[in-house]
Amino acid sequence: MSFKNICKVFDKGNDEIVVLDDISFFVREKEYLCIMGPSGCGKSTLLKIAGGIEAPTLGTIEWKGTEYKNGIPKQQLKNFGFVFQQHNLLEWRTVYKNLHLNLEIFNLKGEEWEKRIMEMLKLVGLEAYPNIYPHELSGGMRQRTGIARALVHNPDILLMDQPFGALDAITRKTLSYEMLNLWKKTQKTMLMITNSVEEALLVSQRIIIMNKQGKIVYEIDNTIPVEARNESIGSNEEFIKLRKKLDGIVHDIQK
Amino acid sequence: MKRQKKKTIKLANVLAPLIFLAAIIGLLEIYVAVSGIDARILPAPHVIFGKLFNRFGRDLSRDFFYTLKVILTGYCIAIPGGIGLAAICSQSKLLSKAITPVIILMICIPMLTVVPILVLRMGLVIQVRIIAVVLQALPVICLNTLSGFRKVESSKIELFRSVGASRWQIFTKLIFPNAMPQVFTGLKLGCIFSTIAAMGADLAAGNSGLGTKISAYSGSLMTDMAYATIIVVALIGIILFMVVAEIEKKIVVWIK
Ligand SMILES: Nc1ncnc2c1ncn2[C@@H]1O[C@H](COP(=O)(O)OP(=O)(O)O)[C@@H](O)[C@H]1O
Ligand SMILES: [Mg+2]
Repeated sequence: MSFKNICKVFDKGNDEIVVLDDISFFVREKEYLCIMGPSGCGKSTLLKIAGGIEAPTLGTIEWKGTEYKNGIPKQQLKNFGFVFQQHNLLEWRTVYKNLHLNLEIFNLKGEEWEKRIMEMLKLVGLEAYPNIYPHELSGGMRQRTGIARALVHNPDILLMDQPFGALDAITRKTLSYEMLNLWKKTQKTMLMITNSVEEALLVSQRIIIMNKQGKIVYEIDNTIPVEARNESIGSNEEFIKLRKKLDGIVHDIQK
Repeated sequence: MKRQKKKTIKLANVLAPLIFLAAIIGLLEIYVAVSGIDARILPAPHVIFGKLFNRFGRDLSRDFFYTLKVILTGYCIAIPGGIGLAAICSQSKLLSKAITPVIILMICIPMLTVVPILVLRMGLVIQVRIIAVVLQALPVICLNTLSGFRKVESSKIELFRSVGASRWQIFTKLIFPNAMPQVFTGLKLGCIFSTIAAMGADLAAGNSGLGTKISAYSGSLMTDMAYATIIVVALIGIILFMVVAEIEKKIVVWIK
């Protein structure tokens, strides 16, 4: 998947604001790519364009060998799973039925799909709660449900907009480890926005960084070996080096 | 432990209004006895209840079923009508803006003024009263439903766009269920408005119905029977309201 010269302009009264300014980058298959940048720089807008929620004002997206000019078309959305910052579950549906929504919209019927709902709940550790309503779940459990929902129709790529941003520090850490395992297990392509350097270094293979003007200014390969990504990652030399570098960059682009 | 607490709360919820009502009746009873007020102005509650039990079957049951039919028929037409109208209006911002003042106007018009005009055109038929109920209940259901349809978080719309949902799917799977709490607010208000409208229609087109009975009884200074009839009317409204509230509890489970 690659993005070529993506621009996004919003009308604000009589003014036009340029949120994304000529963004080009690519995502490799089965790669875990993180996007970082100061708040308001257009990260969410970029991800919405990637997930077919918004169309770019200018630019093209290449997906599976086809160039799309007006954003990802509807019939391709089956290949995408979107995880929102605020769980975004439907309050009137149980956990099971929330996952079922995607099957209804994509018209996926049959026992194997119903079975897949339970498989996905098991994957995120919620197999005991299919009939619970979202308001009865903890924040972490809601976010896990959101992740399971994004996976239930078996997409090729998962798009996540600060999926752990609304969680407390401990739950956040647990879920980022789980996310890394999920990526290893499912072999999906992952595109994730995060505001945490440690989180990005734990899960990603590559990190792209945007500045306030909505341009990509850095692209960093995460060279920490996958075997070293465990509880003791903090003492890994590569991790310490990269974190220092990233902290510096993140500090600079805030200006 | 927790379950027991829940049960106690439930019992308290039932008992509190009953005790309150009993207290009011008790006070009234004392007031009537002490003040020696004329029974043609305010009869003692026990006299009213006595009349209600003794005379309901003979004097009120026919009009009771007539009024009940008017209220229920009108209400059952107003529900799909109000929700349907709201659904149509919600499709366009301009349309809903255009129609909202008219709906508020309809809620404000007393049926006492509309019914005589309808009677002139249609005669003293039951349909006139049903129309009065529909005209009063439909707009209040519509207005509440419409406000519910507009209350959709943009992030939820984004969720549905991320899976490529159609307009129809967004309406049936998102906008409509999301509006359920407001729909039920409209439905509960609709119960009350239906009852009021049926009374208004009775008073304006008086040949049958509990409203007609009330005005006839008070006209001939049978105040105790007038009050007994008012109690019957109030019971219709309250029971209808409680039935809808029970259904709401079964459906809107996500709001505590
Ligand atoms: N639908 C919209 N209409 C107008 N402006 C928008 C819209 N969506 C986002 N913006 C603006 O675009 C900018 C970038 O927003 P966003 O992509 O959410 O940034 P980030 O996720 O990096 O914090 C913000 O200034 C925001 O106000
Ligand atoms: Mg954002």
